[in-house]
Amino acid sequence: MSIRVTRRTFLKASGATVGGVAALRLFGGTRPIFEALGKSRVQAAEVEKWVPNVCLQCPAGCGILVKTVNGRAVKIEGNPLHPINAGTLCPKGQSGLQFLYDPDRIKGPLKRVGPRGAGQWQEVSWDQAIGEVAARLKDLRQQSEAHKLVFLSGRNRGQMGGFIGRFLKAFGSPNDVGHSSICEDGSPQAHYLTQGFKAYAGYDWFNTNYILCFGGGFVEAWRPTTLLLRSFGHVRRGRPVRAKIVQVDTRFSISAARADEWISVKPGTDGALALGIAHVIIKEGLYDRKFVEEHTFGFEAWTDDHGEKHLGWKDLVLQKYSPEWASQVTGVPVETIVRVAREFATTKPAIAAGARGSSMQTNGVFNRMAIHALNALVGSIDVPGGVTVQKGPPLSADPGVVQDDISKKGAAQPRIDWAGTKRYPMAGKVYQNIPEFATGQGPYEAQALFTYYTNPLFSVPDVARFHKAIEKIPLIVTFSPFMDETSHMADYVLPDDSYLERWQDDVIYPSLGYPAVGLRQPVVDRLYNTRNTPDVLIQLARAIGGTVADSFAWESWLDYLKFKYRGVWEYGQKSGRGTIQATTFEAWWDEFSRQGAWADPPYAFGEWKRVLPTLSGRFEFFSQKLEHTFEDLHMTEQDIAALKLEARGDELFMPHYEPIRYAGDPAQYPLHLNTYKLMTHAEGRGANVPWLQELHGVHLAHRNTRWSTWVELHPDTAAQLGINDGDEVWVESQVGRIKTVAAIFAGARPDVVNIPFENGHTAYGRWAKDRGANPNWVLVNEADLLGGLAAFFSTRVRIYKA
Amino acid sequence: MAKWGMVIDLDRCTACQACSVACKVENNVPFGTRKEWAYDRAPVWQRVLGVVESQSGKMKAHFYPRPCMHCENPPCVQVCPVQATYKDEEGIVQQDYQRCIGCRYCMAACPYGVRVFNWSRPSFEETHASYINPATQTRPRPVGVVEKCTFCIQRIQQAKARAKAEGRPLQDGDVQTACQQTCPASAISFGDLDDPASRVSQLAQSRRAFRLLEELGTEPKVYYLSEG
Repeated sequence: MSIRVTRRTFLKASGATVGGVAALRLFGGTRPIFEALGKSRVQAAEVEKWVPNVCLQCPAGCGILVKTVNGRAVKIEGNPLHPINAGTLCPKGQSGLQFLYDPDRIKGPLKRVGPRGAGQWQEVSWDQAIGEVAARLKDLRQQSEAHKLVFLSGRNRGQMGGFIGRFLKAFGSPNDVGHSSICEDGSPQAHYLTQGFKAYAGYDWFNTNYILCFGGGFVEAWRPTTLLLRSFGHVRRGRPVRAKIVQVDTRFSISAARADEWISVKPGTDGALALGIAHVIIKEGLYDRKFVEEHTFGFEAWTDDHGEKHLGWKDLVLQKYSPEWASQVTGVPVETIVRVAREFATTKPAIAAGARGSSMQTNGVFNRMAIHALNALVGSIDVPGGVTVQKGPPLSADPGVVQDDISKKGAAQPRIDWAGTKRYPMAGKVYQNIPEFATGQGPYEAQALFTYYTNPLFSVPDVARFHKAIEKIPLIVTFSPFMDETSHMADYVLPDDSYLERWQDDVIYPSLGYPAVGLRQPVVDRLYNTRNTPDVLIQLARAIGGTVADSFAWESWLDYLKFKYRGVWEYGQKSGRGTIQATTFEAWWDEFSRQGAWADPPYAFGEWKRVLPTLSGRFEFFSQKLEHTFEDLHMTEQDIAALKLEARGDELFMPHYEPIRYAGDPAQYPLHLNTYKLMTHAEGRGANVPWLQELHGVHLAHRNTRWSTWVELHPDTAAQLGINDGDEVWVESQVGRIKTVAAIFAGARPDVVNIPFENGHTAYGRWAKDRGANPNWVLVNEADLLGGLAAFFSTRVRIYKA
Repeated sequence: MAKWGMVIDLDRCTACQACSVACKVENNVPFGTRKEWAYDRAPVWQRVLGVVESQSGKMKAHFYPRPCMHCENPPCVQVCPVQATYKDEEGIVQQDYQRCIGCRYCMAACPYGVRVFNWSRPSFEETHASYINPATQTRPRPVGVVEKCTFCIQRIQQAKARAKAEGRPLQDGDVQTACQQTCPASAISFGDLDDPASRVSQLAQSRRAFRLLEELGTEPKVYYLSEG
């Protein structure tokens, strides 16, 4: 067996020990381990408690059990009752205690006293902070500028997203800007256009036989992380038949390494590969005829109500997307395309999935549509081992929002990011586009900016744009528990509780199919004078008064949660379903708190009306939704050209290939830049967690990659540029340059350099600040204009020694 | 008397390193600073090692979690001048922090590099001290001693106490090490190698099983499984 670890590979992996003596400085104010141990170990057994909660180191929603001793949280384990992680946990979840006990957490509400960004703060009471912010918001309303409040948010778990939406609707602003356009909005949009549901898909990973993954970090940076890792172990050794995993990626990632096969593609050409595969499947007659006939629309040529003839997707694919063509575009050999197509179509059930690598491109929506179309082609929609559509929990319906004239007028204004207009027809939000107002390109100026679980001054492409724009916003309020880059520039910081100190529900990320939720509850008493942000929203609403207050009639957020979950209890009473049954709601809630999770398995396959909510009630190879959206917006030829789309006619509305657009002159900037995520990355929020910082870069044994950033270069590329491993280098694009360290990595493509995204903070606490470099400073703000997606992988760069 | 052993299925392992962090939280192992990593002195008891390389144009990757091998024939024990490290009756290679004189002979002798030396006193900055886990009944670990993976001996003791309280013998699966418990891919198994019915005994018989540097005759009690 060739994998046997030889002495050579073992020594290599261990890393050669570097000699030399380093006298390590002892930090001031540290507590030796035995002092703390000595104090508490004696009575440990008497005061040990295990409290259920839900991890929030990423949005996977894994149930956790937190062990507390004398009111201190000392160990986090997976909650065996939670169906996502079933008692296990990833490294991010394990390190949650360093989030809770970060010495640089913000200890109470802060008001800026010096110039912006000078770091001069006054500690104020909650009453004062809420009173002053509410007064500013009231002024906005009185001046008929309510719509100029922009609320950016990121990790909105459970009811939180809806609650922010409610606040904005009551207040009178349309600018509810979630971060999905810089996250992974391409997939939901592709699902919407083809299959009619605007969400991530669930995949029945445990029962599939073939996984064809386009640009998603299957075992390192995808969601729900723990479920994916569990399913990986299961399809490898947990059942008699071993699934085959094929990873399409621009880099030999750990997912590619753990797959059976790595297909290296040119950045942004995943859609072309999918279409080449579709061509082979159709041409060789390997597609699922029954499914295609019964449940799809637009596969064959068709005639519409006006008698107009339309091209079928089948003919489009056969005419345009031969494997030879796909090979030319993607750089993948023809034989590989043909072989993978045959395998995919004959190793059922098979899943074609994709994430950021294929979706956050200038052609992201169509890439993902092409990939998702493969699932329909082989009949993997809503079958065991295929794609599922996640069901939500049966919550009580919200009472309507009370709006006064100001709210109605404000909420009816156009969005500041132009989402859903001719500029971004399919977008629900275009987060990275907010700075446009500062250069006069927005519909109006932003007057107030709120941020919750998001940090635009770190996370958007071409960060400098946001830095310039934010100076023009008169009021900036953040709800961050840490002094991140945006909080650093804020006028008020209203610090949120950590996830281990608050009540919150957590509806699972699309995955299992059947409804499942977890519950956060205080594991320890609040360490500091922080508040749960939804409670602060209620308090703000009350301080604003009028109909805004009327829309928030609940005593507290916890009351609201109980109101919502009464619906789940009632459903259980009526149907007898769900993992918790109780005769009263109070008893149900107690049990929910005790178990930390509720679920309603199993998933029922084949509910076609529910899983195919398109206009035709079928999977649409011709997207009527897209056609209608274009009609509704009266898109002219000029408008379509402005979206930089090349296809016209019927092709435009079908999964097809739009040539990828790169940013930067190839003569000046010859290399593609890929910014990727590590398992230890916690979606950009893990830089202040030392246990994660010290584990970065497990794939680079020869370099000390811990606590840092690096740029991976193919050995040939490095040799050409005269760059050696460990050299300090500049990575430069047309918008800026960053300095980092070169790591020679055979898993890089010769034409692509790779920088992990996580470090390079200029704030965010002592563990994060001034470590490594943030590649977002060199990313050009390109986009898939149809969907408003930030194109994170389109930037060309050059590299030279520093 | 049990003979504790571990089996790590590399075909399941995803190199996520949850085991590394779980071990640290369970056993109060502080994080390693950048400088400590630069000098290869970071305190890690369960480290995931990786090699990614191109072999005649084809990319190959190997990742393997590396705890202490708890060798049946441990070279570290043989060289310790003060018997600070010894193999206990259940086969666990233990480290007596009070006896250790910090000579680091054991580190030189260990072919697996699993031992770490406390160049500074294990300490936790400010509020980080709050999460110190009292379940781990390790003795205070002063500066200048060697430490390493204990197979989560405190969990073995707890499991025994629990079984005793319930008036039953210890069963296979009663003991879960911290790394095993967290592993999302269920790559790690732990149990009694002397019990022919135990999961680890059976897995160790697999044709996929091998041990690290077997040719040295150390007889590690950590087995790896790999399809090759």
